[in-house]
Amino acid sequence: MGEHTLKRSTFRRPFVGAVLALTMVLAACGEERADDVTTSSAAPDETSGGGDTTSSVTDTMPAPDTTAGAEGVHNVPADYPTIQAAVDAAVPGDLVLIAAGTYNEAVNVETDDLTIRGLDRNEVVLDGEFELENGIRVLGAGGVAVENMTAINYKRNGFFWTGVDGFRGSYLTAYRTGDYGVYAFDSMNGQLEHIYAAGSPDAGVYIGECYPCNTVLTDTVSEHNGLGYSGTNAGGNLLIVNSVFNNNRAGIVPNSGSYELCYPQRETTIVGNLVFSNNQPDTPAIDVALLAMGNGIISAGGIRNDIERNLVWDHDKGGISLVPFLEENPNDDLPTKEEWELTCEESKEIALVDPGGALLWDSFENRVIGNVLEDNRSGDIIVASAGTDVSTLGNCFAGNTLTFTQPNNLETLAPCDAVGSGDWKDGEYNVALWLGEDRPPSVDWQTATLPPLELQENMPDAATAPAKPATDVPYEVDLDAITVPSKPS
Amino acid sequence: MTAVARRVATRIAAAGLLVAFVAASCSSEPESHDTRAHTDATSLGRPDRVIAGPQGSTPQFVVECGFSHSASDDPIVYPDQPGQSHLHMFFGNTDVDASTTVADLAAGDTTCDDSSDKAAYWAPALLRGPEVLTPTKSVAYYRPGIDVVAQDVQPYPEGLVMIAGNSGARGEQPLSIVAWGCGRGIVREALPPTCAEGNNLELIITFPDCWDGENLDSADHHGHVAYSSGGECPKGYPVHVPQLQFVVEYPVWGDPGGLLLASGGLLTGHADFMNGWDQDVLAREVRLCLHNEVVCGLSSE
Repeated sequence: MGEHTLKRSTFRRPFVGAVLALTMVLAACGEERADDVTTSSAAPDETSGGGDTTSSVTDTMPAPDTTAGAEGVHNVPADYPTIQAAVDAAVPGDLVLIAAGTYNEAVNVETDDLTIRGLDRNEVVLDGEFELENGIRVLGAGGVAVENMTAINYKRNGFFWTGVDGFRGSYLTAYRTGDYGVYAFDSMNGQLEHIYAAGSPDAGVYIGECYPCNTVLTDTVSEHNGLGYSGTNAGGNLLIVNSVFNNNRAGIVPNSGSYELCYPQRETTIVGNLVFSNNQPDTPAIDVALLAMGNGIISAGGIRNDIERNLVWDHDKGGISLVPFLEENPNDDLPTKEEWELTCEESKEIALVDPGGALLWDSFENRVIGNVLEDNRSGDIIVASAGTDVSTLGNCFAGNTLTFTQPNNLETLAPCDAVGSGDWKDGEYNVALWLGEDRPPSVDWQTATLPPLELQENMPDAATAPAKPATDVPYEVDLDAITVPSKPS
Repeated sequence: MTAVARRVATRIAAAGLLVAFVAASCSSEPESHDTRAHTDATSLGRPDRVIAGPQGSTPQFVVECGFSHSASDDPIVYPDQPGQSHLHMFFGNTDVDASTTVADLAAGDTTCDDSSDKAAYWAPALLRGPEVLTPTKSVAYYRPGIDVVAQDVQPYPEGLVMIAGNSGARGEQPLSIVAWGCGRGIVREALPPTCAEGNNLELIITFPDCWDGENLDSADHHGHVAYSSGGECPKGYPVHVPQLQFVVEYPVWGDPGGLLLASGGLLTGHADFMNGWDQDVLAREVRLCLHNEVVCGLSSE
């Protein structure tokens, strides 16, 4: 672990810096990275000084291609028969432009700062045919943007970034995939936007193992998955906004657990989303999706999340549920409150401790404000534990439009900027009952009934827009301007 | 379990028990009182520590392979001698029997979720009384050895075979090589722990990660590979290869009483590997995942 961490900090960052510089030369598109998406300006990334400026990026420079169009643009299939061949020939800053067609490929990307774009989101289709693992997999290469295409029938993921600094997925469709639709793991500084994801047994969109993530998920629809969104141990300037999560087993599901690094899950901002009918009984579903079924937004051991101005309706369980995550076979003891402040990298240095039994990850200090909740049949808001006095968890509730909560009158018990009063035992919710309930079993992801894949919105100017590597993400979000969305007509 | 499966299981159980008794009686022959783990053949060295903890700490690629079949065969130790071995549970390649050679593997099918992995993996059967316990699945984690420079790791050569752990062990083996645990948790014990209800018992075997660079096998099937220490391979083993951690998952929880490995007792945990990977894909995953130091996949419970 130490080895791995050390390499990250001493090699990867300077490399990104070097590549950034190269990108600016090649494509003149280097921009400041917004380190904090909630503010309008930020200092440039100052990580390029000194160190190893690995030169491998130039090793793969192809001979000048006189048949290609604009310099740095690699057309598939006109210039290269496969997406992989074009990606392999590209150097940082280049654009891989894919024409309409079906591509039975699993593309691996190791080059920083590429833009990989379909000319038509609905007609550029990567098809794994239930044989291939991932549609596009980005491994450790920072700044890679993937735009305007569809991935279907992959055994693992549609689009996957792992171990990267800087990533963007825009106008992507992931449909019928064996793990996740769109997946970012151990990655930071990202933007996922205009995503449509359906038919994954795990999450349509997953962002995991990062703190701070510095990532935005926006303008996305995730439906008919086990989970609409999942974010194990992810947070820190992580925004889930202006998106739709419907007809999954469960909607938005951040959770903590020591089975992966960077626990606890914390500081995710969930604002302005439509979350409805997440009781879908016929999706493929992992065990967690079965357990969480019937909940709209559910924090399972999440900490300091802001859940505001969402419209949440039609759930068998809770509209917004703050519940524990029971980890029966943990890998470490619970982090202390002081350790909640540590970055992911810092937390990796703490020695593991066998806690000698199951861990209960409670949901602490979440703020639930200004949401509109309707027809959530076990409670518009639920707060529960499995042994901890829930009055001590520090969650707060204010300005929500709702019918009832469990315990009753949560906004009186725990207002956000005032002293609470009342009886927490009144309407106490027994979440342990979920463990014993029968749930409709998972359905095979390859054959599950899904809504037909409809035409999805294309990115503007796909044929003419210049390369735009993910060196300037996430984009700023004006959180204050977001209002509770209206129900779709 | 279907009726047919139950009948088959019963028959297998009978055979397994017989073999287990034979194996047990063999291992109880008068012997020196040396109870060190290395009384019988094992590869040189051991990992510097037990490899456990949250996934994501180390670069890895992961393959999950369903249970394929069971047989009292061992194509490494008892080639062309069907029925000579204790009962084994086979994973991955579906066409493995006593006469299988590495050259045969490419023609077989696989139970692995990555169809490029046609390796043969096997471990002794776990019995409870007369019942042979059918594993739920196996998981193969491929990682750099502890503190090994990830970029130094080379793919296994085509045709490499390895055995990890000591099927003749009379005492506890190093937990860094052979251990029992529950689910994906941190617990590693020499004997099966009591797992919580619904949490599968696991046998966790860690293979050598250094190769002598010449031999695909050796007389004792251990001597051509070794374990690294301090990130370095021992003298005579110049090639770093991935460290395979092979986990067999059983639908067993609660009281571990009555459990027995077909190789005798509960301390004889071991596993065998015949490299049947599509060599190009193996080389690609080593480069993409391990050399880039990223997590290419995770195994969930």
